[in-house]
Amino acid sequence: MKKIYFASLVSGAVMMMTSSAFAVDSTGCGLGSMAWKGNSGIGPQVLAATTNASFGTQTFGITFGTSGCDPNGRVSGGTGRMMLAFLENNLEQFAIDVAAGYGETIDTVAGILNMDSKEFGLKAQAQFAYLFADENVEAVDVTLKVLQLA
Amino acid sequence: MSMYLKYLRCLIASFLFFIFASSDTWATSNFAYSDEWLAIGHYQSKWNGYESTIDTDNFFLSENGKVNPKSELDATIALFQSDNDKIKCLFPARYILLRKFNLVKNKFPKCEEYDKFYDDLRPAGVTFLFTDAYMNSPSSLFGHTLIRIDTKRTGSQLLAHGANYGAFTGENPGPLYPILGIFGGYYGGFTVKPYYDIINTYNNIENRDIWELELNLSQKEIDFFVAHLWEVGQAQSRYYFFERNCSYMLMELLDVVQPTLKMAKKFPLQTIPIDTFKAVYKAKGLVKNVNYRPSRQNKIRYNYNQMNQNQKNAFLEIIANQKYKSDTLSDAEKAEVLETAYQYVQYKNVAQEISLTDYRKQSFKLLQNRNKIKNIVLKDNLIEGKPPFDTHNSMRAETVLGEHNGDGFEEISIRPAYHSLTDDNYGFLRGAEINFLDTTVRHYNKKNNMVLEKFELLSIRSISPADKMFNPISFQIFADVSRETNKDKKDGYVANLVVGGGSAYTLSDDVWIFALINNHLAYGGFLPRNQWAGISGNIGLLADWGRLRWLAEAEKTFATSKIGSKIIYKSEILYSVSRNLALLLNYKYQQNYGEDIEEWGVGLRSYF
Repeated sequence: MKKIYFASLVSGAVMMMTSSAFAVDSTGCGLGSMAWKGNSGIGPQVLAATTNASFGTQTFGITFGTSGCDPNGRVSGGTGRMMLAFLENNLEQFAIDVAAGYGETIDTVAGILNMDSKEFGLKAQAQFAYLFADENVEAVDVTLKVLQLA
Repeated sequence: MSMYLKYLRCLIASFLFFIFASSDTWATSNFAYSDEWLAIGHYQSKWNGYESTIDTDNFFLSENGKVNPKSELDATIALFQSDNDKIKCLFPARYILLRKFNLVKNKFPKCEEYDKFYDDLRPAGVTFLFTDAYMNSPSSLFGHTLIRIDTKRTGSQLLAHGANYGAFTGENPGPLYPILGIFGGYYGGFTVKPYYDIINTYNNIENRDIWELELNLSQKEIDFFVAHLWEVGQAQSRYYFFERNCSYMLMELLDVVQPTLKMAKKFPLQTIPIDTFKAVYKAKGLVKNVNYRPSRQNKIRYNYNQMNQNQKNAFLEIIANQKYKSDTLSDAEKAEVLETAYQYVQYKNVAQEISLTDYRKQSFKLLQNRNKIKNIVLKDNLIEGKPPFDTHNSMRAETVLGEHNGDGFEEISIRPAYHSLTDDNYGFLRGAEINFLDTTVRHYNKKNNMVLEKFELLSIRSISPADKMFNPISFQIFADVSRETNKDKKDGYVANLVVGGGSAYTLSDDVWIFALINNHLAYGGFLPRNQWAGISGNIGLLADWGRLRWLAEAEKTFATSKIGSKIIYKSEILYSVSRNLALLLNYKYQQNYGEDIEEWGVGLRSYF
């Protein structure tokens, strides 16, 4: 009988551990939503966040980390800044869209550049090896090269 | 005579003054209780007057503005007649409204921060967003709703912004957070984020579908909405998970733009996200377009199912061994395989089932291979899902006639929310069950007594099959108080807590099987030593043929007390006559320490 008590205690502890792991990344309706405080002082905060991001070292593959963790994110600024912020957050999808020559991120980047989407898609596809030199490419490099391409 | 005239003139003047002054207060006191002003101040009527949902002081200009719409209106009019431009800039929507009703005449000042906000958003529309349930987080079980401010920017709506209302729990909410969240221990407020960030979170990280309802608003209404978002964005309200939550707050926002909608009034008690989504969809003339953005996982599954056998083989070879044997495929077929495999590698990275080095290597190889194929544009085929506005309603009533060891009974259950495994699954996440406060009352014919049979605080089940691509865990949590019989045939109430995990597999698209190991704790005055603990294994079969569903389960429990050790066989068959009406047939056999229990019932489930 003691064995069963012990076993249920252990399995209970394991379950509590797994269930608390579930709870960590909660951005849903309600409890645990990542949120930031109001709009007061939005100017300095946005500035801090974007300048920080400009010199950031977000690399290919881990850029999804900013989702929900970049609370000051805002589509703002000139072509360069907007492009960098977009590519830092969407590099994986942009890479496959460049490889294929079309897609929603191609439409978006072409929009930022004020270019025709189809034309930009074909150009980017032809320049894939230039834009994505290797698997460790960083968003900053891709941004600079895309701006050159335009 | 002249004195007389003077006197008359004076009288007329004072009379005119009186008329003007009184007509002014008359106009404002009337307007203070208009739908427009009550909505913009988030006032809700109470038995003793009004109270605003907003709780922070900075939202009110008058000291008792939270409960007094009239004094808040007076203070607001006074503000716009003053030269306090800094504070004026916090209330652009109130200005627009008062200007429209001719209650202020001054110009609105130049507001740098607000203008920048407006310019970044470049509002072109408002879209109501619904994301479906996320089983891996208790706060997301009911789905979630957000607002998107569509953008005029060229390119795509990825550059639009989403506004999310949520509780500020801090970085480490701690173990008390569910309690604090339910009973108003946190403040809630709005967050603005680029829409691409929202897509990444929901579609790509949490693998949840997004539904977009484009609202039918004029540019004036859109600008008014954005102005109010700015106003309310600085304020906070106490957050109550079931009532004053993300979805409720969005209802109040819609009321601000179109006060005749009265959306918030439709949710006096509980505000379930999917119910607000349905209410928006059904509001006359409010929605002009519906779009569906499937989750990454759904896209991968769909694309895989669409492939021919050669493609499937090539795909599985790539994801299992990184071998590219696609020579027999056409360019278009190859492109499909490579793009789907690429998404699969992204999925694995998010799920942390692959090292970063391997992930990058595999991704890059797929990119290079895809880049070799030119002039192939694949169609996005998965554009129609099962829309959540066609799901069954959240409230459920069940009536059953049955027999318990030969004793006939009638039974009624009421469940306020939300969805069971055997309910019509259309539009819901398949294999997901979330029930709250399901309460069953039973009348036994022989004894002619009425008893509370079961009160289920909570049941959560996620039966999620593993396959060649995905390997999710299945789990379940039950917390209830139920009426049980001991070997002396005495009845009593037992509080049960069951938590379990395991795996599920598909026999076919429609028929799934699962096996779970559970931890069981029981507490009740009539139990020997008041309690027992146990471990159980249960296996089950879940078949879902649309209208017809069948759930069969067997569970064996090993417990510290003989009364807890038992074997239960259960079977439940449902047939849906319509979306909100189903026939029920159930059977249960329980081998106990005392007398075995055999029970069956036929009944009706209706949803409303």
